[in-house]
Amino acid sequence: MRVILAEDSVLLREGLVRLLEEAGTEVVAAVADGPSLVRAVREHRPDVAVVDVRMPPTHTDEGLRAAVEARQAVPGTAVLVLSQYVEVAYADELLADGAGGVGYLLKDRVADVDSFLTALEDVVGGGTVLDPQVVAQLFARRRADDPVRRLTTREREVLGLIAEGHSNTAIARTLVVTPGAVEKHTQHIFAKLGLTQDEDQHRRVMATLAYLRG
Amino acid sequence: MTTETLVLPDAAAPVAPATPLPRARGWFRQLGVDTGYVLVSFPVAIAAFVVVVTGLTVGVGLLIVWVGVAVLAATLLAARAFALIERAWLPSVLRRPLPQPAYLQPEGRWVRKLLTPLRDPQTWLDALHAVLRFPVAIFSFAVTVTFWSIALGGLTYGAWDWALPDPSTNPNNEDLLEVVGLESTPGRRILLYTVIGLVFAVLLPLVVRGLALLQGQLGRVLLTSRAATQAELGRLTEGRNAAVAAEAVALRRLERDIHDGPQQQLVRLNMDLARAQRQLERDPAAARTALGEAAGLARETLEDLRALSRGIAPPVLADRGLAAALAAIAARSPVAVDLAVDLPAERLVPVTENTAYFVVSEALANVAKHSDARTCRVEVRCSDGRLHVVVEDDGTGGAVLAPGHGLAGLTDRLLAVDGALTVDSPRGGPTRLSAELPCG
Repeated sequence: MRVILAEDSVLLREGLVRLLEEAGTEVVAAVADGPSLVRAVREHRPDVAVVDVRMPPTHTDEGLRAAVEARQAVPGTAVLVLSQYVEVAYADELLADGAGGVGYLLKDRVADVDSFLTALEDVVGGGTVLDPQVVAQLFARRRADDPVRRLTTREREVLGLIAEGHSNTAIARTLVVTPGAVEKHTQHIFAKLGLTQDEDQHRRVMATLAYLRG
Repeated sequence: MTTETLVLPDAAAPVAPATPLPRARGWFRQLGVDTGYVLVSFPVAIAAFVVVVTGLTVGVGLLIVWVGVAVLAATLLAARAFALIERAWLPSVLRRPLPQPAYLQPEGRWVRKLLTPLRDPQTWLDALHAVLRFPVAIFSFAVTVTFWSIALGGLTYGAWDWALPDPSTNPNNEDLLEVVGLESTPGRRILLYTVIGLVFAVLLPLVVRGLALLQGQLGRVLLTSRAATQAELGRLTEGRNAAVAAEAVALRRLERDIHDGPQQQLVRLNMDLARAQRQLERDPAAARTALGEAAGLARETLEDLRALSRGIAPPVLADRGLAAALAAIAARSPVAVDLAVDLPAERLVPVTENTAYFVVSEALANVAKHSDARTCRVEVRCSDGRLHVVVEDDGTGGAVLAPGHGLAGLTDRLLAVDGALTVDSPRGGPTRLSAELPCG
């Protein structure tokens, strides 16, 4: 897997490069600002760009905008955005183009190296990975008459994991149940919310998110 | 020489402690001003009275057909013009600057614009002034003209007594002396009238001053006291806005500092620990190195957190007060600091302590960064309820109060507590920064 890393803090950049290399990926470039990221993506055409949201020169959402631009320049580039805080609005912008292969995680998640690497692979494979905090924020703004409130606790758990971008198999592993049980839960959920079941992992996530954002 | 003083805005200046106009103009000049004022006021007052009373009655009478509204608006605008003339006179009569009221600005559609003068309380006060000053102006004018006439006529009587018909030869013509039963001779007449003229001449400045003040005070109360309230409100709003702005900037900087500092270090620490965990079985030596680095990082993070909390509210300032905190920053400064502190024994209020502390700390940071100074003098003393802070160096100068610069941030901090910052920093040096704030 060929990775480009964009992170302005030297401390974190070096830490990430070491971690990624020890995990067996190839870091083809490590840059420190938005424009360099876009250039590097055009030049190296990596499998995935791991991008920090806040970077010079503006130190606001530079990384996010650069990531969107890089995906327009080289369609099909997977992007995993890392940030010290998560905002639903940022997730919306990332998902706006409707194509898969995007992820948005808190930087803290990197420390759980195995799931970080899994997320990276999911994104490269065209999936969508969202931080549990983003999903929690989506759940937090549900209205009182919302059908989501009619879901059982276990069903809401499963819905959250779907929104985070997990496959049924992964959900079964997380919840320590059989894939068949997860399949049954998802059917119930989709029926209750009036969503159509979709075999495509990414479209399933998008439908769920579209519903939650609604 | 670049001297920049940032004080409260102009609008607020007139309500600052009374700053009298130069007083050494002498009674003679003041008599001229007062007389001119009273004499000019007379025709102006008549014109204003006629216009305003006519306009108001016609306007009110026509209210039922909408023309009345336009007539009222026009009348009030005329009253405003007369008020403008009066306000121009007032400072020289009352011998102090007066605030100008802010009228409502016409905005919106033309109907709304037309109604603006009617909605503005100050224009109604202007109209009231036009009515009330009318009798005052007539009275003042009559008395002033009488006093001037008697004084001038009496004092010069000796020069034109010969031109008058002799009253002793005409039984129908009695002069003052004959009225009280004395014989009227030219010498007696000249003596009496000159004495009377003298008495009136001596009283003249006092009487005219009194009349001018009477009329001037009426104008001040009706035409400018509302502006004084407005200015005071404006000043308070300004201070509050500055406080809010300073607070917002400080919070944003704090967020950035935490984000760029401890937060990133902890994320990296987390990463390194995760790496070490994975290496533990395969490569214990590498794991040991990683753990060593992690421990170092943890120490650095702690150090940064300490520096950050010192930036928010230095512990020594909270615990020991301003004098001790100043001694601490003076000791930390790379440039030698000569510190002179003269403060009351009891603690100052926290906001004063904080502000003074940040002024000195920001100033010393600037001295260390930009001035190339060798020594620096810091003086902090409390007198007349004001805290005076002076930071002076022997460096190269050229400090400016540009927006976004640290010094501009200090200006906001000071404005928030009703203080002021002055920076005097000619190119080539030295730089003298002085701040003044209330110490309660």
